[in-house]
Amino acid sequence: MPPLLHQVFRPVPFCTYYRMAEIADTRLARLQPRAGFKLAAVWTYLGVLPFFVFIIAFLIFPATNLFAGAFQDAKGNFTLVNIQGLFSPYILKAYRTSLEVSLITSLSGGVLGFFVAYAITMGAAPRWVRSMLLTFSGLAANFGGVPLAFAFIATMGRTGFVTAILKSICYSAADASKVCPLDPYEAGFSLYSTVGLAVTYTYFQFPLMVLVITPAIEGLKREWREAAENLGASAWQYWWHIGFPVLLPSILGATLLLFGSAFGAYATAQALTGGSILLVTIVIGQQIRGDVLGDTNLGYALAFGMVVVMAVCIALYTVLDRRTSRWLRR
Amino acid sequence: MAFLEISGITKHFGQGAGAAVDDFSLSVERGEFISFLGPSGCGKTTTLRVVAGFEQANAGSVHINGAEVSSVPANRRNVGMVFQAYALFPNMTVAENVGFGLRVAGQPAALMQARVAEMLELIRLPDYGRRYPHQLSGGQQQRVALARALAVQPQLLLLDEPLSALDAKIRIELRSEIRRIQQELKLTTIYVTHDQEEALSLSDRIVVMNLGRIEQVGTPFEIYNYPRTAFTASFVGHLNLLPVQVTDAATGACTFEGTALASSQPAPNKQAGSARLAIRPEELVLGGAGANRLSGRVLSVNFLGNVVRVRVRVGAVELSVDMFNERKLVLPAVDAQVVLSFPAHACWLMD
Repeated sequence: MPPLLHQVFRPVPFCTYYRMAEIADTRLARLQPRAGFKLAAVWTYLGVLPFFVFIIAFLIFPATNLFAGAFQDAKGNFTLVNIQGLFSPYILKAYRTSLEVSLITSLSGGVLGFFVAYAITMGAAPRWVRSMLLTFSGLAANFGGVPLAFAFIATMGRTGFVTAILKSICYSAADASKVCPLDPYEAGFSLYSTVGLAVTYTYFQFPLMVLVITPAIEGLKREWREAAENLGASAWQYWWHIGFPVLLPSILGATLLLFGSAFGAYATAQALTGGSILLVTIVIGQQIRGDVLGDTNLGYALAFGMVVVMAVCIALYTVLDRRTSRWLRR
Repeated sequence: MAFLEISGITKHFGQGAGAAVDDFSLSVERGEFISFLGPSGCGKTTTLRVVAGFEQANAGSVHINGAEVSSVPANRRNVGMVFQAYALFPNMTVAENVGFGLRVAGQPAALMQARVAEMLELIRLPDYGRRYPHQLSGGQQQRVALARALAVQPQLLLLDEPLSALDAKIRIELRSEIRRIQQELKLTTIYVTHDQEEALSLSDRIVVMNLGRIEQVGTPFEIYNYPRTAFTASFVGHLNLLPVQVTDAATGACTFEGTALASSQPAPNKQAGSARLAIRPEELVLGGAGANRLSGRVLSVNFLGNVVRVRVRVGAVELSVDMFNERKLVLPAVDAQVVLSFPAHACWLMD
């Protein structure tokens, strides 16, 4: 059986990936006969060459360009105007909206995903439900962008069919007026608002959480729960002292991943709201697409700002991870 | 009533499945060390888990110190348990693990610390309190697991194959450690194992189990020397079985391929006909002056250290002969013709 996506895709700190690669590498080296060592090394480097070419061409080079561009004006002279521009009310608001949407959806998706993962691992859900949910999660977690936006417009939009169904559930009030209590748009909901955006994002956020956290929950050993019970602990005490602390590093890593995926999303929001909600990614789009009002270098600065936000998040994560996974270190 | 009284425990897993444990009854006196011995799937662990409260029996009752506990949840039974392996809480230090039971019981910190120190002293790891489980070897982890189970002063200690994940050498070391601690604390203990050597060396009494049922209960000496069922005889220790014709059921006389043999007990079904004559390898002697004599050809000689095991073909069967090793021992040559002898009291007839 090929490994399921969730088995391949785990939130492991980069250093762990590095360590795994290192171990694999030394093993490989040991397997090579001494005489053929040089040739083997050549082949190994040839194998990783495309990776480095790719990284340099499409990550390091553009990123360097982008950072440099953030500190340049249109003529290429050094300036701090772009960075200053980040603090204009318009752009600050975009950052705030982006952070808000990302935080809300990473938390709501995280909580929802955690409970779904818990239900399919610890709960009594039958096997087929479990494999169905995991397959769905694998699909949904990667279902974003324009198709997702249109799917939501077709269901929850102003004339979407779910909206239409909800709208049609009406009764006559005492004064003979028609009351439709379930009409979402009457109740103040709009798909084209921040809330609507959050709902749409949750569609790929929570399956992502399911994929990432299921292996971690599966890693909780039955013996831990039984040993705790045996020593007089209640179920609540088990979760407070053991279950939750053991999962915490994984939960933190997963939440950061969710945050990142929401923070960087562009196409979904653009297609859903046509740019009427200002997210940082949408503002960047406006700036560098080259319409009359565009300022490419300001776009670079905006992107630079996003990198800074993510760097802060990762730094925060690292600190928290150090605290919560103290017991994992040798 | 005995300190631990297990009566008529029956446990099915799911409908239509056979009984994992079938009408299991046992009385255990205070301070006794009991082993449940049997192959995997014989129901020994399930029985233990019923006593611990992790499984609900379909029928039967468990009394601990006079109190019926069937409806008491596992976290109220005050029964200590040591699991097969890796059951230490990974996010807690050794000291936190050992103190966990007292912590959830809301004991004051000072008492907890004192108790933890005492326990670590008992398992001879006094300086390991600040380490995390993954920094310990398997043997050390199991010692800590033992200390953790003992810290809450349980009425009963249950051990579920605690040594089976360890190296042979550590296993033997820890085995005697467990026995020492058990005797020091005079703790009523049930020890589940599939390793006959562990059961024989540790226990006051052994419960041999097969297919969910008790085969025999007895002291290690009784279990080994006077097995009452064919299963016990073949599961505990090595056994040679000769297909024989019983000639006199009352005295236990029989013939094997024409050679008359004498045994000390009457045939089990009290009638003549075919049966099997059982004899332990260490009771057979090469040459010797035993009443029963068989001749055969040496097939192989295996040097096992303290014992030398010789395989001898006698007629249609192969017999194992164990000899104590000593410096002056002359090993028989392969293919040599030898005579085996054994006394009548060393063998018995089985169906």
